[in-house]
Formats: sequence, C-alpha cells, structure tokens
Amino acid sequence: MPIVPILMPQLGESIAEATVIRLGVAVGDSVKTDQEIIEVETNKAVMGVTTLCDGLVAEIRALEGISYSVGSLLGLLEVTEEEVARTGVDTLESLEGKKNSQTESSSVETENLHFAIDGDSYEEDPSIIPTVKGLPVPTGVMGAHYISPRMRARMDDMGLREADISAVAGTGAGGRVTVEDLERFLDYLEAWPSVAASPMRLAVADAMRRSWTRPLATVGLPVLLDRALEHRRAQSPKPGLTLYLLRAFALALKEQPMTAGYLIGEKVVHPRSFDIGVAVQVEDGVVVPTVRKVDQKSLSDLVSEYDDLVDRARRRRLTEDDTRGGIATVTNFGTFGLTTGTPIPLPNETLILGIGAGVKKPVWSDQVEAFVPATEAELLLTFDHRVVDGGGAGMLLKRVATLLQQPENL
Amino acid sequence: MPVDGDFLREAFRSMLRARILENKLSSLYKAGKIVGGVYLGRGQEAISAALGASLIQGKDCYAPLIRDQAGRTAFGEAMIDCTRTYLGSVEGPMRGRDGNIHRGRPEMGMPAMISHLGAQVSVIAGMLFAKRLKGTLDGSVGATSVGDGATSTGAFHEGLNLAAVEKLPLVIVVANNQFAYSTPNHRQFACGDLVERASGYGVVGYSVDGTDLLACAGVVGEAVKRAREGGGPQMVVAHLLRLAGHGEHDDGSYVPSSARTGHYGRDCIEVAMRQLVEAGYATVDEIFSWQEESAEEVQKAVAQAQQEPSPDPYREDWTALSTKFPASTT
Amino acid sequence: MSVTYIDAIREAQEKVLREDGRVFLYGQDIARFGGAFKATKGLAEEFPGRVFDCPISEDAMIGLAVGAAIEGMRPIIEMQFADFSSIAFNQIVNQAATHFYRTGMPVPIVVRLPSGGTPGSGPFHSQSMEGIYAQYPGLVVVTPATVSDAYHMLIESVKLDDPVLFFEHKFLYRWLKAKSINGDGLPIGQARIARPGKHATVVTYSAMVHEAVRAADRLQADGWEIEVVDLRSVKPLDLDTVLASVARTGRLLALGEAFPWGGVTAEVVAKVTEEGFHLLDAPPQRLNARDTPVPYHPKLWAAHRPTPESICEALRKLLSF
Repeated sequence: MPIVPILMPQLGESIAEATVIRLGVAVGDSVKTDQEIIEVETNKAVMGVTTLCDGLVAEIRALEGISYSVGSLLGLLEVTEEEVARTGVDTLESLEGKKNSQTESSSVETENLHFAIDGDSYEEDPSIIPTVKGLPVPTGVMGAHYISPRMRARMDDMGLREADISAVAGTGAGGRVTVEDLERFLDYLEAWPSVAASPMRLAVADAMRRSWTRPLATVGLPVLLDRALEHRRAQSPKPGLTLYLLRAFALALKEQPMTAGYLIGEKVVHPRSFDIGVAVQVEDGVVVPTVRKVDQKSLSDLVSEYDDLVDRARRRRLTEDDTRGGIATVTNFGTFGLTTGTPIPLPNETLILGIGAGVKKPVWSDQVEAFVPATEAELLLTFDHRVVDGGGAGMLLKRVATLLQQPENL
Repeated sequence: MPVDGDFLREAFRSMLRARILENKLSSLYKAGKIVGGVYLGRGQEAISAALGASLIQGKDCYAPLIRDQAGRTAFGEAMIDCTRTYLGSVEGPMRGRDGNIHRGRPEMGMPAMISHLGAQVSVIAGMLFAKRLKGTLDGSVGATSVGDGATSTGAFHEGLNLAAVEKLPLVIVVANNQFAYSTPNHRQFACGDLVERASGYGVVGYSVDGTDLLACAGVVGEAVKRAREGGGPQMVVAHLLRLAGHGEHDDGSYVPSSARTGHYGRDCIEVAMRQLVEAGYATVDEIFSWQEESAEEVQKAVAQAQQEPSPDPYREDWTALSTKFPASTT
Repeated sequence: MSVTYIDAIREAQEKVLREDGRVFLYGQDIARFGGAFKATKGLAEEFPGRVFDCPISEDAMIGLAVGAAIEGMRPIIEMQFADFSSIAFNQIVNQAATHFYRTGMPVPIVVRLPSGGTPGSGPFHSQSMEGIYAQYPGLVVVTPATVSDAYHMLIESVKLDDPVLFFEHKFLYRWLKAKSINGDGLPIGQARIARPGKHATVVTYSAMVHEAVRAADRLQADGWEIEVVDLRSVKPLDLDTVLASVARTGRLLALGEAFPWGGVTAEVVAKVTEEGFHLLDAPPQRLNARDTPVPYHPKLWAAHRPTPESICEALRKLLSF
C-alpha cells in the first residue's frame, strides 16, 4: 500500500522551523482529508498540520516539544491506491523518484540550506542560467593581442612595450597574457643576467617597434656593379658605392615621387624635397643622417658632404637637423659581408633601399661570346604596403638598377 | 465664538502686510528680479490670517502652504525671511537651496513645505505626537492648510486619518478657492461640500465664508480652542476665490467672470476693513497709517535682501547629510 | 544558545528604547502583536507608551516620523515589508531626505525595511529597494548581512542624525544564527572583507554575502581563492575597501539581489571603472536578479535571483578571462 509522508509545512515567510506541541493522532488511527493531526507552534502562531488525504497512521516520527525544520518528516500515512489517485498526493515512492531525477539533491546539508528548499531543485540545477552576460573573449592571435587596463598600467609602470611581452605565452582567454602571466614572466627573468640597455639601443628599439606596426614587404633583384665600380676608380676623391646608390635612388624617386608618399589617416603626404637618409652603423645602434637635395647634386659634389655626415655620425656629433626630414633611406649592409636582408624603413618613411655585398659571378657576355667574371649584388627595397604595391616597388627598383648601369649620368 | 477686537486688529494687520508684500513680490517678478515662481495668497488672507493669529508661536506648530503669507505673518515669520527666500539671499532660512513659498523654520515650529500636496498633514501630526510623548503637549495645537486640490491626495487622507486615530490636536484648514491650478471643483471632488468628509474621518468639521474675516476668526478660533481642549482634529473648510493666477505666470483666465463677480469674488481685505471700522475696532486713518507702515516695512525688507550676497557654488559644501562620512565613500 | 538575525534586531531596539528616551517605535501590527516578523515582540509591554500600532498609511507614518524628529525624537518606523515603502516614497525622498539640505535641521529617523526574497513570497513581498533609495541624496542606506551587524548597525543608525533606511533581509531573519552578538566595531560607511582571497573580488551586501561565500567555498576546491567584500552600507559606499580588494585580485564581480537595471551593482562597477580602471585585468561583471517581477513559485524564484550556482558560473567566466 502506498505510503504518504507527513511533512513540516512552511507556515509563514521567514519561518525555518516549528515546534510540535501536541500529537492529535496515534499509530493505527484512521485520518480524514484536511484533518488537523499535529499542532505546531511557530514564533508567530499556533497552527495545525493537516493531512492531504484519507489514510491510516502508519508511523509517527515527531515528538512533542521538539522543534523541526520545514520539510522534516513528521510521520507516515498508509493510503490506498484509489485515494492517491483521487487526491493526487505525492507518495514516498514518487517523492524518491523526483529526488533521484535531480543531481546531488540528496547531499543537501540542513545547516547549509540558506535559500535552498529541502527536496526542491535548488541545488546544482544545470537549467539555472546566470543572468550575467558572457565576457567577450579576445580572439585572434595568441599572446599580447589584448591588453587589459591593469596589464597596460603594469607595463607602463615597468616601461614595457607590447613587443616585450610577446615572449609570454598567455593563459587567459584566447591566449591573452594576464597580469599573473606577466608577473610570472618577470619573476622568471629575474634569474637571468641582465644589463640596462643603452639610450641608443632604446632609441633604435623604439623606432623599429613603431615602424613594425605597418604591413612591410620587401622586393629584390640582382644588379651588376662593375660599371659603377669602374667609374668609381676613375674619380678623385672616390665616392663610395653607397653614394652611387643614393644618387640613383634620388633620381628614380624624382621620376616617381608618389612611391615615397607617406600615409597619414586618409591622406598621402608627398615628398617636398629629395633628401635621403643613409644608415650608419655606430656603437650599439644605427643612426640615419640625411643628405639634402640629392637629386640636384652631382656625385662629386656629394662626396665631401657625405663623408662629413658619416664621420660625424660615427663620432656621435650629429645635430638634430642632420637627421631630420628624410623621405627614404639607403642602407649598405654589404659592408658587413652580407649578401641579402630585409631592411626596415624608419617609422616616418615608406621606403628603405638596401644593397648586399658584391659577389663575383660568371656572366655571359655577348660581346666576347663567353662567360666573364662580373660583380653582382642583391638590391632590396622594403616598402609600406599600405602606400606602395609590389608593382610600383618593382618599377622603382628596376629604375634604380638601370641608373646604376649608367654611372656617368649620376 | 465671539471675537475679540484686538485679535481682529492683529489679524487684519497681518492681512494688510501680506497683501502689500505680495504685491511687491509680483512686481519684482514682473521686473525679472525673482527667478522661479511667485505664488500669491490674494483673496485668501482672511482665513489664513485667522489661523495664524489663533496660534501661539513657541507653543503651537504650523505648516503653512502655498497661499499663506498672511498666516505666516500672523504666526510671526519675519518679513525678511520671505524676501530673502524669494530674492535668493544666502542669509535667508533656505540659503538659496530652496525658494519662494518652500521656506520654513522648523525650529520655531514652522516646517518648510514640500511641493507634494497633503504631505505636511502627517508632519504636523508627527510634531504633535512627539510633543505628547515628551509630555510637552500641554494644550498646544498644530495647524496646517491645504487647498481643495490637496484633499484628493492619498497623503491628505492618510495624514488626517492618522491624526484622528491618534486624537491629535490638529487643525486643518481647507481653503477651497474653487480651482486647483485651472481644475474646477467639479473635476476635483464629487461631494457637495468638502466639510462633509469630516464626519468620515471622525473629526469635527466647520464650513465658513473665507472672505469674511469676522466669520473666519470665529470659526477658526472655535476650532483651535476645541483642539486645545482635547477635542481631536478639527477641519475647517473655507469657501473663497483665489484673486490671482496659480502663480504670477498664470493670468487665471479659466476663472469665469460669474465667479469673479459673485459673492466669493469680493476682496476679503475690503470686507475686513469695513468690519473693523463699523465695529469701531479701528479708524480709517489708523488703517491708512498701518498701510504706510507696511509699505515701508516691505520696501526695507526687499532692499536689504537685494543687497545681500547670493549663494556661492564654490563655497557650498554640497552634502545632503549632516553626518560627515569619509570623502571616499560618496 | 544562539542568536538569530531577527533576535539581534529586536535586542537592538530594546537597547535603544531602554537607553534613549527619544526613541519610539511606530508601525503596523508592532505593538501587542509584536510585528509581522516578531521584531518587536514584547517591546510594547516592556516600554508602555513607546511602541505603537498605526493605520496602514505608509506615507503618513514617515510624515509623522519627520515631524517627530523635528521635535527632537528618534523614531524607528517599521515598514511591514520593504515593498510597501513605495507608498511612502514621497515622504522618504522628498520630505525626509531633503530636510537637512533645505533647512539645516537634520531629521534622525530610522526606517526598518524587511527586504529581499523568501520562497513563495511573490512580487510584492520580496523586493530589494536599496538601490532606489541610495540614488536620492540625503539618505543613509544600510544593508547588514550578519547577526552582529544587524544589532550594531541598528543601534548606530538610531544615533545618526540623518534619515537611515535599514534594509534587513527577511531570509536571514531566522536562517542566520550566531553563537552570540559580537562586533568588530566597524562603523557604517566601512565595508568588511567577509572572506579573503586573491583571484577575484565579489562585492556584495545583505543576504548575497552568504551566497557569495558559499560560491567561494565551492571554487576553493578548484584552487581559486575568492575575496568577498560585504559593503554593509550601500550609501555611503566604501570605495576604498573595494578598490583595495580589486587591486589585490584584478577581477570584479558585483553581486546583488535587486533587479538588474542600474542599482548598487551598477554603481560599484561604475565607480571601480572610474577610479580603478588600471586595476582591472578583466571586464568588471555584474550579477543581479532577472528583469522580471520576483516570481511566486519557489522554483522560479530560485532561478530569478543569484544562487551559489550562478555566482560560481559568473566567477568561472571571470576567472577564465
């Protein structure tokens, strides 16, 4: 026969428990629906606990004078199947079934109730969706893509740049670097030997970092240097190879000045004067003095100006004016024996022209109908792809190469 | 209740002072000297002064409303409080923080009204309740006035009912000036006379011609006396007509000419003057001299307030709490 | 022997009635009946003529309190439910709250507001209105979460010269017990670290403090240490303690039982963003009740308000950012 539990009811708001004052029935008594069978007292009132259906009292668990929390089992009724169907009451069995369908509700601890209702689906119900909105997870590249305000503040505090934390593998959402990641990284660095970077190093680092924020691309082609070298041997004083390049670059740019344009917002700023910088390696860095109006001066005119600038650059005697106002830069990394490279333009320039070391190669000569030795070098142009495309850069580079073949015109 | 001649002289002088002061306020408003509104009690001076003059400052409390310049004056409010508040002097009781008729001096038993009608009824009830608890009630009364419009509010109902339940010596004057702003009585309430409500609250009700100082003094005097003697709340309904717009920005064009020329359209000050002279309580010459004195008093109060500094936003402490909490806990 | 939250409120009222002759209690059913929640049980008998039943007139109750305060008394008004204070809204925000600013005379009244949800209470007996009142200048709004705070803060509220809205949580009334009333002497206006931690900060108040602590306990199993800040009073709001906690953790969850639009949690997030932007390592988050009236059925109700489950979930999201 089905068993129906007699439970301590919720007898008012904020009522957690009630005291049984009097048991109105004993085991074996038959009870009627809505009969008050147990008298209980809350701190608000005295009330009767009623039965939900007809039945026989099978068990009384409550004791008079004892306080029971809401939902406690006070006793059991034996009820016929027909009566269960008539009244729709929950039997012990159906209640168990309801309980088991919930996760972990059996582990509800009475002292841990707070807002939970005994036997209800309060605990661990996966259908409860928090009203909190999802955090926007930074997506895209790993590492230093997203920087939180706190990260930014901490980095400013430490003098760190985004590039500095690119070494950190982030553990945050989308691989972002969290403050904890940063602190761990800084702790890790502590174990390594370190020195303070020189002001020159920091200046170069800053310029390169700023330049690297742009989409830079490099194109290159081989160029024969023999004619230029031959021409050079006949000059006194002898202009350096870099100067030939400088002059060829200036003349080529003068024909296609838009190529050296500089993009600011939605505007391309064009060159006003063909002043071109020359990269000079100095101790712990690079400086770029500017040679003025290269398009208007002959090679021989330029020699002394160029030598003076390079000399002062190496002695760190350049004035601020000497390095200002260039529209592009030339770098001859061939002097270090390097044959190729991808130079990076200054942050305020769109172009840098580089040349590698000359290498002796056998080249077919139609004149003598045989392979003859020739000096060949890689000519490389790095450009801001926002301003110039591969085609434009290639045309410029080809023009420079052609001009280098006619050194007498430089 | 028989009315004493000295009482009438006093009440009348308050009416006169109020009228002259308010005429000045109106002209200051029209000259652009007053920012915000100007709300006049023209036509309501008799009932207002009768109430104010029946109260004893220092013993009784009184929450005047929008058209109670005469009552305030009779209760003992200094004229300078009025001009300072209207003209925005920092020396005034509200220091520029509130204006015009929203002034009060709670420490002298006269709380400052808020704009929400009916709200002062329970405040006066609370003051009386406290006096009873403190054992200082001792025959004192509390009074407030409302208009016909305020009787439609929940606050009026709650406050009057509570005062009746607590059997407080509250005198409530309902000045039925026939229009709540522009809304006529028949769109405000459906009973014949608002005084019928008194019995519903279990309070004593009186109906009086608000343009008749003699009648007002008698009825209000009786109501105050019965309240003092423990008779519980008293409700006086005065019938009259507002002889001005709702504020000076309003010309009152919605008042039909029949109302203006009807019985309640008469000017209570003229009625009172005749009553005083006929009864021999004052001579015409005497009244003229009072008038001159009042004009001079008004002029002085206006001049003084105008010369005083206005509030300085840079020197305000900008706090609404008297407790000083740490600044970081805004 | 233990003391419940409501015992503490009753004890505090008994103490102020005994020690301060200016105090009286005014409210519906609070005299012989002892109040709907028995917060004034026996006080009418103990203090004859100082505990009064009043008509169901919330507006007039506050008006009366203001008048009595003008006369030098220190009334404590019991709203039967915080929800019903909407009837008294005008007197609270326009009369009481403006009085000191306008006239220079403070009105020391305490309004006790049984607040927050309990199962089955439904839309009109469950509201959390602290945010609405905190928006108005001139009011002190306190929200005790512990038995000792309920006691000490009520006593302190009566001592303050300003109007105090004392939000007492109905659910804590009998569920929350303490061995005895003690206190750490914190004044109104100072928050408390209810649970120390270092990975994220939960700023909350009233009953939600306990829910937050439960959520923090669960997350501890996964190695997370959650700091819970109990604001204690939402106005004044102790930003120093909140910022100090966010400085430790870098992550903020503002938690409240009130409706989600605006309110205390929004104010906490706004203030932290304003003054502690550089401390945040993740977007500050809010967790509130849902944007519907408080539902009647316990199942709906339990999902309407923040629970340890939803708090845990919100924290996990915050921690994984």
